[in-house]
Amino acid sequence: MLGDITIGQYYPSDSFLHKLDPRTKIIAILIYMISLFVVNNFYGLLGMLLISILVVMISQIPIKYFFRGLKMILFIVLLTVALQIFMTPGTIVWQWSFLKITEEGIKQAIFMGTRLVLLISITSILTLTTTPIALTDGIEHLLKPFQRIGLPAHELAMMMSIALRFIPTLVEETDKIMKAQAARGANFDSGNIVEKVKALVPLLVPLFLSAFQRADELAIAMEARCYHGGANRTRLKALQYTKRDLFVAGICVCMALLAICSRMI
Amino acid sequence: MSLEMKNVSHIYQKGSAKESYALRDICLNVNEGEFLGIAGHTGSGKSTLIQHFNGLLKPSSGEVIVDGVNINGKEAKNRLKALRMQVGVVFQYPEYQLFEETVEQDIAFGPRNLGLSDSEVQQRVVEAMELLKLSKKLRKKSPFDLSGGQKRRIAIAGVLAMKPKYLILDEPAAGLDPKGREEFLELTAELHRQGLTVVMVSHSMDDIARYAQRLVVLEKGSIKLEGTPQQVFAQPDILSEIGLGVPMLTSLLLELHEKGWDVRTDLFHPEDVKREILRELARRERQGGGV
Repeated sequence: MLGDITIGQYYPSDSFLHKLDPRTKIIAILIYMISLFVVNNFYGLLGMLLISILVVMISQIPIKYFFRGLKMILFIVLLTVALQIFMTPGTIVWQWSFLKITEEGIKQAIFMGTRLVLLISITSILTLTTTPIALTDGIEHLLKPFQRIGLPAHELAMMMSIALRFIPTLVEETDKIMKAQAARGANFDSGNIVEKVKALVPLLVPLFLSAFQRADELAIAMEARCYHGGANRTRLKALQYTKRDLFVAGICVCMALLAICSRMI
Repeated sequence: MSLEMKNVSHIYQKGSAKESYALRDICLNVNEGEFLGIAGHTGSGKSTLIQHFNGLLKPSSGEVIVDGVNINGKEAKNRLKALRMQVGVVFQYPEYQLFEETVEQDIAFGPRNLGLSDSEVQQRVVEAMELLKLSKKLRKKSPFDLSGGQKRRIAIAGVLAMKPKYLILDEPAAGLDPKGREEFLELTAELHRQGLTVVMVSHSMDDIARYAQRLVVLEKGSIKLEGTPQQVFAQPDILSEIGLGVPMLTSLLLELHEKGWDVRTDLFHPEDVKREILRELARRERQGGGV
């Protein structure tokens, strides 16, 4: 029932992106995101779209698999688009009672919709091509400079990776409990809103219970293996920049410069 | 009337790189009143198979027929709930589905979903608790305060309270201590004696051998062996190849046979095995005495 959620899941492959250092990937994606909001005309946006298509192609992730993950955010995108179309003031092109569509609105809607889709696409590429462990390592390294001002970098990274790691587990668990309750005649799909919310109780109570229990067990298991936070921890696979990373860094700089230049058009 | 599977296949994640067959062309009949055991190694498709019986999973191809109605067909659309009630499925570790404040309310969840009257629901709760030998004192207690074995009984009572015709149990004894295990298996046998059709799924041949009248052995989503326990256990080579093996007592007989004892090797009930070994011992004594 819930097998379609691919956000936060790793897709094993051997592509250029999979081999890239996680730090490079995180920074590159940050630059991409910033560029995405720097560009302010359709040429720029088209450029960003082309880049993300290229990235998806390089990642060797099956298009079908990739889009299934995007389906989840379809609702948010549609809502944004609708709000932009109807709420932006400007030259009116179509009107029906209180609903009116403006030229600026259409432009804004296309812009925001595309930005949102690209934003989610590129971030899901990050999690799809990076194992949770590599991702945490990367985040931890990047946050290290902030440790001096009291940011618990290691703890934050650990929490994040645990959260990511448990998304699929929780999805699986939800699926299981839903089935068990459906076997007892529970109905999650029909009825009005009040009934639907009520129908969630038999799902949420066991789910929370097992999640807390799991958290407890995980904490004990980690302590039993002498885990005590970030100090003096060494790694099995130390991160190392290679030529690949230099290459990507170069591309990112070009992308950022082009994004800024595109504003001048 | 029976449960029937016709050429059922199930493919997980169809169309992606992870596409895999969970079931391949399964033909299976569960006759009313029988005790069927389904054995298979982890990942052999047992759990996927039983989810087809009450329409929780739809076959990628093939038909699942409950009492003559194809549950994924047109005529079943409006009756899916009713058909689902005919087939009570108890999943692995069913205690994780408990959610209500009291034991009584939790057991009542199923029957209430059937739309029964309050008095009828009460009646069924009482009956189900009696059936599972749950003390009346537990009724107002929170299910979360009880022991693992009790929780499992309550979960099963919750399914039985819907009065299914077929009861399907997925590894009902998993994770219980030996005593709880024994009690549980005896309980399923008792339910069967009272007229319920029982399908028990397990990877433990010892558990299944005890009560099942017929055995189906799954491997990699296909039916590998089928027949009475005796017929199935007569093929220890195939069973050990799959990684299931034969019940402990049967393997004892097999080993004795290899050592030159003249014993049958298709027995598995403790009483039968005892008798067989005693018989052979007596024979050897007579022979020994003769020399």
